Amino acid sequence: MKTLVTVKRVPDPETTIRVKPDGSGIVTDNIKYVINPFDEIAIEEALRIKEKQGGGEVVLVSIGGKSVTEQLRTGLAMGADRAILVLCEQPLDSLAVAKLLTKLVEKETPELVLMGKQAIDDDSNQAGQMLAALLEWPQATFASKIDFAADQKSATVIREVDGGLETIGFALPAIITTDLRLNEPRYASLPGIMKARKKEIKEIPVADLGADITPRLTVVKMAPPPKKEAGKKVETVQALLDLLHTEAKVI
Amino acid sequence: MPTVNLDLFNPTEEHTLLRKTVRDFVRTHVEPQALEYDRQERFNLPLFRQLGDLGLLGITVPAEYGGSGMDALAAVIAHEELSASDPGFCLAYLAHAMLFVNNFCHNANADQRQRYLDKVISGEWVGGMCMTEPSVGTDVLGMKSEAIRRGDYYYLNGRKMFITNGALDDATLGNIFLVYARTEKGISSFVVEKGFSGFSLGQRLHGKAGMRASMTAELVFDDCVVPVENRLGEEGDSLLHMMRNLEIERVTIAAMSTGIAGRCVEVMTRYASERTAFGQPINAFGQIQRYIADSYAQYMAARTYLYYTAVRMDLNKPGQRIDSDGVKLVATMMAKQVADNAMQVLGGYGYLGEYVVERLWRDAKLLEIGGGTLEAHQKNITKDLTRRMDLIR
Ligand SMILES: Cc1cc2nc3c(=O)[nH]c(=O)nc-3n(C[C@H](O)[C@H](O)[C@H](O)COP(=O)(O)OP(=O)(O)OC[C@H]3O[C@@H](n4cnc5c(N)ncnc54)[C@H](O)[C@@H]3O)c2cc1C
Repeated sequence: MKTLVTVKRVPDPETTIRVKPDGSGIVTDNIKYVINPFDEIAIEEALRIKEKQGGGEVVLVSIGGKSVTEQLRTGLAMGADRAILVLCEQPLDSLAVAKLLTKLVEKETPELVLMGKQAIDDDSNQAGQMLAALLEWPQATFASKIDFAADQKSATVIREVDGGLETIGFALPAIITTDLRLNEPRYASLPGIMKARKKEIKEIPVADLGADITPRLTVVKMAPPPKKEAGKKVETVQALLDLLHTEAKVI
Repeated sequence: MPTVNLDLFNPTEEHTLLRKTVRDFVRTHVEPQALEYDRQERFNLPLFRQLGDLGLLGITVPAEYGGSGMDALAAVIAHEELSASDPGFCLAYLAHAMLFVNNFCHNANADQRQRYLDKVISGEWVGGMCMTEPSVGTDVLGMKSEAIRRGDYYYLNGRKMFITNGALDDATLGNIFLVYARTEKGISSFVVEKGFSGFSLGQRLHGKAGMRASMTAELVFDDCVVPVENRLGEEGDSLLHMMRNLEIERVTIAAMSTGIAGRCVEVMTRYASERTAFGQPINAFGQIQRYIADSYAQYMAARTYLYYTAVRMDLNKPGQRIDSDGVKLVATMMAKQVADNAMQVLGGYGYLGEYVVERLWRDAKLLEIGGGTLEAHQKNITKDLTRRMDLIR
């Protein structure tokens, strides 16, 4: 099976994020970047599918500047076969991403597109759904387990939904987005790291894909979440209720 | 002049990826067990085998022999990252991957590699290297262990002392050792397996000040029968093997030192910004600033010398002794001092195991002794420099 896996470069969740004083974005100096953790889960799943099926191809795709090469190389070191980088310096909204991916899917004709359910920087949770709509392919979001029929023509996915698990079946090709519990991504092994350099990262200028990526959304302002203030301890339930009423004004 | 865009600590993409793999692995798997294994003086064998899964145990073994095919600088990165969390465990790694695997692989023939490499690269077998004896350490050429050839076998007699990975616990001998001994034509080395007749665990050494997550043992060879096929190279070749391997050993011990120091700088800097006294964070006090700043500057100086040495090191050739000794000399003393500074900055809490630096402080001391004492380096450097004044500037 040929699987396309999307990879986004995002700030390391371990780093402290600071918003620029003018609210136009975050301070990007000296922050470390990583593969979006949900995309890392998608890479792992694609590799497991390939290993289980004893063949196939795992192709990584990313859209961004040259610096994304670092994350793609990490994915290749984990074991992906090759990568495509759509060179694009401008910020993109989910629809633009989905449109660019549509073009790539048309070129690559994979049986499966695996994506993170969301990127941990913008938390939009839309690109997968939009891509499915544009391609008119089935979609299974928030996957926590994926199985394929023996003929590899259909899949069964367990989805994590509010209040429980939902199992759905559908024909391939399809889009699946990953949830946290799907798997635990592997480390890039040392032999994997040494092999990664020889793997291809094909660069495509964004203009060559001929998609309309005019932004539909603009970021008006970013603001840090309000600082947590120290809590208060009260002696009795009644005192708590009083404060919730008079001070917090929530009851 | 063209600008040089070199990240000395991660000169290639592979080095960057390696550091990331090891650091991520250390954070989730090594750090959580470090204090417990230190307290209990136990070696974490399952964790060690996970290093095999990652390809760390054969880090410097060429890919054609099933290794990871990385260089000396990569070995430095691996030791630095492991040691930032658990120097004791890292010492067991060093004894296996550098003292046994790297040494063996460079000096073995095709048949020997075929017989042993898989088992030590995967971590199924734990290896070590036997040089030191109860009555000779620094004066290694005075070793008494002797192998006498009779027909297709050598009969090895002697005792080896302070052997890391010599035991896996109180009663279990390690799996495989590279043993130096006198032979008719000079110093030779042999691969000795657990189970060879006449080879036994003398005693596991308890109560070390630090490095307690690695097992240290005295090993006994009593008419130990070693097939001729287990001699590495020709008789008398192994003085060269030993000298060559001491270089990577010293450089990776220096990397353990920068690992310890980097962690200590991190711990003391954070603590000093959070702890308050007399109404202000303690990092507002000049004396505390001096600990932090001096530690960082000394750490960076040693680290720069370390990577400078590693980047030029060719694992196939001796010839870096002056700097492998030099960097071990400065880096180990630096690590001990920086760990001490960190403990001072943390005050009473620094003296408690939970705050990490107490363990690193105990571990750091060993680095001034093992793999060559400070005095041995001073002796070597003076000798080498006197011969090669041109190296000075
Ligand atoms: C935890 C631990 C793990 C170890 N692991 C291993 C291992 O895996 N394999 C192995 O083979 N060995 C191992 N060693 C042994 C270590 O390499 C030796 O302890 C070290 O080389 C010093 O030898 P020694 O202890 O016999 O001290 P000695 O050589 O007796 O030295 C005692 C003192 O005299 C000084 N001295 C000696 N000669 C001179 C000189 N010419 N000029 C000036 N001063 C001198 C020394 O510097 C030192 O201060 C380990 C040791 C420890 C503690």
